[in-house]
Amino acid sequence: MSQRIESPRLRLGVLGIVAIALFVALFARLWYLQVLSSESYLEAAEANRIRIVQVEAPRGRILDRDGTVVVDNRVSIVVTVDRVRFADLEEPERMDMLRRLADELTRYGSPATVDQLIDRVNDQRYSRYAPVPVAEDVTEELKIYIEEHEALFPSVAVERVAVRRYPFGTRAAHVIGYVGEINDEELEERQNKPKTYIRGNQIGKTGIERIYEDDLRGMPGQTAFEVDANGDPVRILEDLSTPPIPGDDVWLTIDIETQALAEDLLAQALEDARNRRVSANNLPNRGNAGSVVVTDPRNGEVLAMASFPVYDPGDFINGISSKEYEYLTSKEADAPILNRAIQGEYAPGSTFKLFTGMAAMASGLRTPDQTINDTGAFTIEGCRGEQCRFRNAGSKAYGIVDMRRAMTVSSDVYFYSIGADFWDARGRLGEEALQEVVRRFGFDQETGVPLPSEQDGRLPTPQQRKEQYDANPGLFAERNWYTGDNVNMAIGQGDVAVTPLQLANGYATFANGGTRYAPNIALKVTRSGSPETVKRSFEPRINGRVDIDPTQRQAMIDGLVGVTTREGGTATSTFSDFPNDTFPVAGKTGTAQVNGKADTALFAAFGPAQDPRFQVTIVLEESGFGGTAAAPVARALFDVFAGVAPMPEIQPGGALVEPPPADGEVEPGTDLESPASRLDQIAEGGAD
Amino acid sequence: MESFAGRWPGTTRAGSMRRNPAAPWRHVDLLLLGSVVCIALIGTLMVFSSTRGAEPGVADTSILERHLTFLAAGGTVMALVTMADYRRFRDWAPIFYIGVCALLLGVVSPLGSEVNGAQAWFQLGPIQLQPSEFAKIAVILGLASLGAHFGNDIDVRRLAVLLTVPGIPLVLIMLQPDPGTAIVMVALTMGILVVAGVRAKHIAALSLVGLTAVVGLLSSGFLEDYQKDRLTVFLNPSAGLQAEAYNLNQSKIAIGSGGVLGKGLFNGTQTQLDIVPEQHTDFIFTAVGEELGFVGAATLLVLFAIVVWRVWRIAQLSRDQLGVLLCVGVLSMLVFQIFQNAGMTMGIMPITGIPLPFVSYGGSSTIALFAGVGLVQSVHMRRFT
Repeated sequence: MSQRIESPRLRLGVLGIVAIALFVALFARLWYLQVLSSESYLEAAEANRIRIVQVEAPRGRILDRDGTVVVDNRVSIVVTVDRVRFADLEEPERMDMLRRLADELTRYGSPATVDQLIDRVNDQRYSRYAPVPVAEDVTEELKIYIEEHEALFPSVAVERVAVRRYPFGTRAAHVIGYVGEINDEELEERQNKPKTYIRGNQIGKTGIERIYEDDLRGMPGQTAFEVDANGDPVRILEDLSTPPIPGDDVWLTIDIETQALAEDLLAQALEDARNRRVSANNLPNRGNAGSVVVTDPRNGEVLAMASFPVYDPGDFINGISSKEYEYLTSKEADAPILNRAIQGEYAPGSTFKLFTGMAAMASGLRTPDQTINDTGAFTIEGCRGEQCRFRNAGSKAYGIVDMRRAMTVSSDVYFYSIGADFWDARGRLGEEALQEVVRRFGFDQETGVPLPSEQDGRLPTPQQRKEQYDANPGLFAERNWYTGDNVNMAIGQGDVAVTPLQLANGYATFANGGTRYAPNIALKVTRSGSPETVKRSFEPRINGRVDIDPTQRQAMIDGLVGVTTREGGTATSTFSDFPNDTFPVAGKTGTAQVNGKADTALFAAFGPAQDPRFQVTIVLEESGFGGTAAAPVARALFDVFAGVAPMPEIQPGGALVEPPPADGEVEPGTDLESPASRLDQIAEGGAD
Repeated sequence: MESFAGRWPGTTRAGSMRRNPAAPWRHVDLLLLGSVVCIALIGTLMVFSSTRGAEPGVADTSILERHLTFLAAGGTVMALVTMADYRRFRDWAPIFYIGVCALLLGVVSPLGSEVNGAQAWFQLGPIQLQPSEFAKIAVILGLASLGAHFGNDIDVRRLAVLLTVPGIPLVLIMLQPDPGTAIVMVALTMGILVVAGVRAKHIAALSLVGLTAVVGLLSSGFLEDYQKDRLTVFLNPSAGLQAEAYNLNQSKIAIGSGGVLGKGLFNGTQTQLDIVPEQHTDFIFTAVGEELGFVGAATLLVLFAIVVWRVWRIAQLSRDQLGVLLCVGVLSMLVFQIFQNAGMTMGIMPITGIPLPFVSYGGSSTIALFAGVGLVQSVHMRRFT
């Protein structure tokens, strides 16, 4: 009987123990989840409820050195098509939709055809992830219409996007560069930047836009949405949302008026070259391309950097078609995309004589006063045959010339002899004695200007020639270096190549007494909307020094000033009525021969000679004589720098006009003509 | 109090209540009652929190109102059951049992409505009736009555008779199919059988059969795929149907992210943003865990433990086998449902559609569970009479 009573009690006890065990298990699990691993679950819960949407910040502006806005932003209304949704549309709905869209675009003032729309949707240059823009800068009315008739336009969206605005059109396009959609490679590179990038963001592709990307790019903001289980936003989380911060403004060293003037003069000079008659045995001038660089020799600041032909950075707004881009990079169009000031490599011709001359004096091969008799031709000693005779341009004989006179009249013979002497003295001075001095002026290396894709030019050496030949024996005709190679190099020919900026920088280095600056293109970075808050400023950067003997320098300056002032100077007639007494210009013409093309016309100069503040370099492809084609450009610029001519004013759109006279009255009968047309009034100079 | 007490059955017969220390009304287990009321209060808050909607300023109270109605109905049923002498249920058990079986048969017929893949409801206008919830009470009554009748000597033949009691509704419930309620039915049957005196070897054999049945069920085509996944996803949360693994994971995130003190009432992001599914019904424990934290969830578990302890104690104190077995049935049902429900939200038990007693929203379940508590109270109050 007792067992009968005990048994149920025992069994009830078992049940109790089971219940206790189960509760213990629940408590243990609860402790584990809520106390031990709470942190990771909390993170997961946060990630669950929050979706963050990036808000692009306006890009910083680009200003010229005086604060004139050269690039800013505007709003563009863009019609886009979502490719994925578009692909999901059934026929005939897809074609009907495109037809409707084309009709409405046309009706609202943005003419489009169905074929054009299809081309845009299928254009491979657009990212696969972002909607494809099919029409840009449409009207507000069209935006409203499409939004109100959403159902009629599946896969179509209309958005407002901030795009670059170029108040002066194509002005300084090569310096500024352009922006475009970030590509995979750039995205990868910039993963860890504080200013984060996502697909579809704009990024500077070339020029200032690219080099100062980190400054110009705004800090993207974010909007944090709390979302429900379907991912639909419930509300905005203000604590986690941050407003976008506009990018910083970059101030250029460029003066936009000087820039525009240089560009107009360049275009005009090339046009004049094209129209110039040439003698029958010369190739016709194509005058197709060129560059003008203006720098301040005192600090290396670039005041103007022009390249021709120009392109319109506005073409890159909302993306550029492959066809357009192909055109901009094509040889037939002379690759307008190139910034010839840093990417064009040219034989410097006689402008190189400055450096040959300085090398000769520095190495003791010549004194300033040492003379030779220029008979119009130079023959390498102990060498017979036509290949050993080197002539002046036009076989002109200049008679007894010293260093000064040789520069002034551009005696090739004088410098031929220097080239030959360098090679003859190689036992004492070394094989590369000439190149070494020239290199100190910045040749054969990048100038260090903060612009992308700068070329470094060429300065051939015996060593280099050997190596090239040994590497590709079939490709090069010659392994050895001869006296003739030095002779050619001495006058800036024979495979010597420089960029216009290198040449400008070499002249500036000489002009300031031997300090070689890395040219600066930007002055400072200031906070958006607060020009007084300087975040970065770019001080002059010294890249090297050249020891220049003052006597030798003075002799050289005399020779260079003679170019623009003395009887027989190669640019004397161009500077005939220039105030040479108060603002003497030291310059050198150059006419470089190019195989199968008309000569490259060059002119490099600085002024005022006693205290140089401006360095001007002009390179005109296939344009003939440097004195004829290039020097007038410098003259027109120096007219403004010397105060003889007024600095023109730049109009919205980029056109230059003569400023009204100081008294405010426009003289009756005077047209407000293009300043570049003044080139025609500047007397054209003589030869090389 | 006087007028209320005057309506108790038996008390009127005894004349003045004050003079009768054995009067049932003096033996209401206040701790049990208080704990259940506290649990129901927490449940009400959590039902409101998980159904009030995300719109700031405007709270949706429609579900709350219905829940309060269910609680009122449940309380009324509990009071009525409490007032009745549990020994009289022995007579009513067959009628109740047959009625419930008929309803279960009806629900799998075209008369029933299907929700979430299980045909378990009658749609009566605005009210949904889930007969399987009442079937649990009917089975408790039937098993306890029969078990008490058999006494402690239960041989194979008597065992077979006992097993038919849960067997019939079990088959009908599996036809819905509603594996969750079926498992609860199995659990409470096992509890009663153990205490009723079924021999240990029979219990072992039954367990083996039960295990085989579960494995067979999972490998057969009887359950829908999603039901199988729900049952097995907790074993391997990274596998299974995406949605089931997702739900289980979100449930664990909700509880885990609550931490020690919780995010505060109405502040649980998982709860307020409807990230956890079925949150006012089967997954309500996640709302408790997220918003009230370990402190709140543990308090709730402690309250449950008190309820379970009281029911166990009442079973011990019961004057007859019928009372013991009734309490054991309710106890087994409660323990299993609590463990199963809270365990599933924390990833230690399979996902089944079982409500958390007194907390989850749901009319039939609430009424059935309160009726169960009423039964236990009735046993407690009449231990001297």
